[in-house]
Amino acid sequence: MPAHSLDPNKWVDRYSDYLFNYTIVRVNNREVANDLISETFLAALKSAKYFKGEASERTWLISILKRKIIDYYRKINSRKGKAEVKINYSDDYNEGEWLEEQVADQFDRTAEDEMENNELGLAILECLDSINEKHAEIFKRKTIDGADTEAICNEFNITPSNLWVIIHRARTALAACLEKNWF
Amino acid sequence: MSEKNYFFIDCSKAADCCNKAQYKEAKLLDKAKLYLHLVFCKTCRKFTQKNTKLTQLIKKSRIQTCPEEKKEQWRKEIKKEFAEERT
Repeated sequence: MPAHSLDPNKWVDRYSDYLFNYTIVRVNNREVANDLISETFLAALKSAKYFKGEASERTWLISILKRKIIDYYRKINSRKGKAEVKINYSDDYNEGEWLEEQVADQFDRTAEDEMENNELGLAILECLDSINEKHAEIFKRKTIDGADTEAICNEFNITPSNLWVIIHRARTALAACLEKNWF
Repeated sequence: MSEKNYFFIDCSKAADCCNKAQYKEAKLLDKAKLYLHLVFCKTCRKFTQKNTKLTQLIKKSRIQTCPEEKKEQWRKEIKKEFAEERT
């Protein structure tokens, strides 16, 4: 019997935030990211019969998404002239200072930092997978979306003290899960 | 309530206040009580340190969630496609 099975009706709740954070750092455009995720879900449904159950659902969806991202770059790069590198002075005042202007600012955020932060984000979402689904949802609403305590209580029909107990459990579980690699 | 109990809180109240402080929802007086508790309690000092670090990590990750409308749209698309695949 395969180790993993597919449950498409749960895909959005379980994986959409993970897929979104994975995509946004690679394409840097929300609209494009949303389209690619939508295409990924549909392609996954079409090829569900080929899922062998060896990898987890998320790993499998990510492998499809990776191909969609590569296809996206192939498509935009094949448009003639779009792949040209244009070198311009940033303004008239700096004309002639091209080299100085282009030198990397060592205090600036680097692409490596960005990727590491993105990996951290994905690690957080992975850790949230291991806690109760509803608790993870409440934690995300409160911590990532920054929603009001009162609004979340109304949305999930819980009391503020329920909410803080859930937040406490989620934070403790998350800290324990991240401890090995990130603390 | 005696004056002593008013200022000295137990570990569960300290943890509660520490969690609220991560979201800037702790009252000033409760925060003062938390700091007083931390002077005496090593376990809570450790917890507070970890909890604060977690807040920093989440901020640093710049993690985002998809808007609910988008999720709803995807749910519908999947449901429709899934039903068609089955028939």
